[in-house]
Amino acid sequence: MAAQLYKTESGHLFHAGRIAVITVGLPARGKTHVAYSLCRYLRWLGVSTKVFSVGNYRRVLMGAAASLPPDFFSPGNQESAELRHNIAVGCLNDLIKWLSEEGQIGIFDASNTTEERRKEAHDTLVSHGIQPVFIESICDKKEIIESNIRSVKITSPDYIGWDPEEAVKDYWTRINNHTGFYQPITDMSLSFVKMINVGDRIIVNNVKGYLQSRIIFYLMNLHISSRIIYFARSGESYNEISRKADAALSPSGKQYAYRLKNFILSLREKEKKERREQGWGDDERTLTIWTSTRQHAVQTGKPFEEEGYVVQQRASMGELNLGFVDGLTVEEIKKKFPEEYEKQQEDRYHHRYPMAESYLDLAVRLEATILELEHEKNDVLIIAHETVLKCLYAYLFDRPEDEIPGIVIPRNYLIEIIPSAYGCRETRMEIVDDSFPVLSKLKNLAHTS
Amino acid sequence: MSSHTRIACVMVGLPARGKTYIAQKVCRYLKWLGVSTKVFNVGNYRRKLHGSNQTHSFFDPNNVLGEIARKQAAIEALEDMIKWFLKENGTVALFDATNSTRDRRNFILEYCKKYEIQVIFIESICQDENIILENIMDVKLCSPDYKDMDPEKAAEDFRARISHYEQAYEPITESDLTYIKLINVGSQVVINMIQGYLQSRIVFYLMNLHIIPRNIFFSRHGESVYNLMGKIGGDSDLSPRGKKYAFALPKLIKDNLGDQPLTVWTSTMRRTIQTSEYLPYPKLQWKALDELDASSCDGMTYEEIEKKYPEDYANRDEDKFNYRYRGGESYRDVVSRLEPVIMELERQQNILIIGHQAILRCIYGYFQNLSQDDLPYVKIPLHTVIKLTPKAYNCEEVRYKVDIDAVDTHRPKPLKQKVNGGVNSEINQC
Repeated sequence: MAAQLYKTESGHLFHAGRIAVITVGLPARGKTHVAYSLCRYLRWLGVSTKVFSVGNYRRVLMGAAASLPPDFFSPGNQESAELRHNIAVGCLNDLIKWLSEEGQIGIFDASNTTEERRKEAHDTLVSHGIQPVFIESICDKKEIIESNIRSVKITSPDYIGWDPEEAVKDYWTRINNHTGFYQPITDMSLSFVKMINVGDRIIVNNVKGYLQSRIIFYLMNLHISSRIIYFARSGESYNEISRKADAALSPSGKQYAYRLKNFILSLREKEKKERREQGWGDDERTLTIWTSTRQHAVQTGKPFEEEGYVVQQRASMGELNLGFVDGLTVEEIKKKFPEEYEKQQEDRYHHRYPMAESYLDLAVRLEATILELEHEKNDVLIIAHETVLKCLYAYLFDRPEDEIPGIVIPRNYLIEIIPSAYGCRETRMEIVDDSFPVLSKLKNLAHTS
Repeated sequence: MSSHTRIACVMVGLPARGKTYIAQKVCRYLKWLGVSTKVFNVGNYRRKLHGSNQTHSFFDPNNVLGEIARKQAAIEALEDMIKWFLKENGTVALFDATNSTRDRRNFILEYCKKYEIQVIFIESICQDENIILENIMDVKLCSPDYKDMDPEKAAEDFRARISHYEQAYEPITESDLTYIKLINVGSQVVINMIQGYLQSRIVFYLMNLHIIPRNIFFSRHGESVYNLMGKIGGDSDLSPRGKKYAFALPKLIKDNLGDQPLTVWTSTMRRTIQTSEYLPYPKLQWKALDELDASSCDGMTYEEIEKKYPEDYANRDEDKFNYRYRGGESYRDVVSRLEPVIMELERQQNILIIGHQAILRCIYGYFQNLSQDDLPYVKIPLHTVIKLTPKAYNCEEVRYKVDIDAVDTHRPKPLKQKVNGGVNSEINQC
């Protein structure tokens, strides 16, 4: 059901109108995270979407927070309040301009904590024929706020070169400045969504429209607590070119599976220690492993299962179905289906070999997995075929569809992905085995058998 | 989604708040998408156990015997539901009853926990007296409970029944439960602790429902040049008779709708756009409404396909719903690409869809609750307008044949399989 199916060339869904999503909430409530994640998802659906962040405008115009007077963010400081208001208006005007020229959904990322400010934005947007939807982030759990400050705010451009503890303290001041002036949304004539404690509870009021309800669907699955996603390809199987064969892992594939397990477990151990040393405290996120139901993936997950980890199989994560060209080499395809091969070279994302799936079909099939991945709060290791990882990677990193077939996910590499407010960060690590003496034993076993 | 997902959607709310309506709709939608789904209506169990002619005092919370009898019905329905999950591999069950007390909800919750069934409560709250009254008049008075009763007496009895429930009603406030509250038919929605994709999907669907009366019209495009030649697919123009049909269409619609507003949806293909040409209403083109993609068979006659791909042709009749043309689409593929269209149809009011045979079969199949076996064989003839009017538990259907000849493009289902009538045969009422 991915909406990519009804993507239009202009990126406009003709029946959905133009929409402004306006974030509301105190600092460090995950507004920016919500804004950027939502933007990525909507773009994945083929809708032309852009974030307009007042914070970025302010930084460009005024410089980073360090250069600002300490009470700059206090709504009580009239002079700076006016300045900040002008910046916000400029930002909103750019959003309106972009929507009237090319975009369909503009996301206005600002605090908008007062009734007056929201009313002003609402009226301006409506007068331009744009439908406003407010998303209010409410959070009364101090640990969520604290963790948000640590993971997002002190790494933001505002605090480059600051001592982390000083930055945290400064940020709390900024929050406290706002708190007294904050008016939660109570105007029931507005179209709004309230997200309470990162998606625990959602209140939806007077929200109508196709894309609006789609946005809520996504918000139901979104959370902003920190976690890690790992990608690893499944090990080498006895038959690498046939899906139908559903072949088991080769001896070297099995070795790889153990190497992967050892590598990732010791990596997690190491990172946990580092976090503890940085004063993060222990978090209790466990590791869950997702595999497809294909032999190569199931068997690659086996060593984790042996260690007592939860390994979930998902049928929808099976590799691209190649139909009639299944089991053929590129040379054979060229010979047997020259015309199809040519067509495939022209449009690798949409092309389907006879009885096969296109990458688009695969992406559509993966939508449920994507939303479940958004939903998951634990760390997840996804073990799958390269074709599947390409699509998931493209979603997480906001890559255009025509690039998907060309994305490279090498075997023997672990990709560590950390979702953050402004997008995902990745680290690629070669899955080495030298440091694991256990493995040499295994190697010997493989040789003798 | 993981292979063992089991979800019980437990309805909550006073009588005449549209619980059965919601349960039936969710069931029909999920079944159409291919999810194994079933409604368990406690009212039906209660009637089976204790007869259908109980008066309101049976529902009085102070009537101890009545209370025991009603709980017994709930337990039987629950046990059947569990059986269905375990033995028939069910995925989503809708447990349709008032479940208006904390006690009852906890009881269901504990029961489901034992079998690792996720529970999501769906509470319908309605403060609009008119909607409630309409519901009583439309639905409740034709219920088996009031079969031979004078309508006024029945309404009075039913109101007394509601007030018994009101005495004991405890709206959901438990913050650790998974629930969705629909307030005044979705004008406000509270969503709490939703877990997993399928649950969020159900919630998404619920948020798009409305109960404003409306009509949905379907028409295939007028006869096309390819229809005349017996070819499938393509992007041909209308035949002279097809153009006549396009010309006749506005009057038919106008006679039916009067001055009510209407939006016309077409595909992006010439034959549907040409058919909509004279209709004086706003029009939208949907790529998703384009005809089933026959790919390598596009532009061929059925005879040519049979000759060129004899095996494929035979396969198609074996399992038409799942058969995918070489490089093209199956009916199953079409259903998944039409899902957004269905969602939008739920949100809209009067709509006329000018579409194609396979596409309209899938959309019609959704509204009339057809099985995947029957759906690809529904008769959607050329030059005919089908009008569907959604009612509480099904759709009323009227067909208007326009007196302009056209070729018949329907290929009947091979005889060895049985053909079912179609319209929702099992309707539950509380």
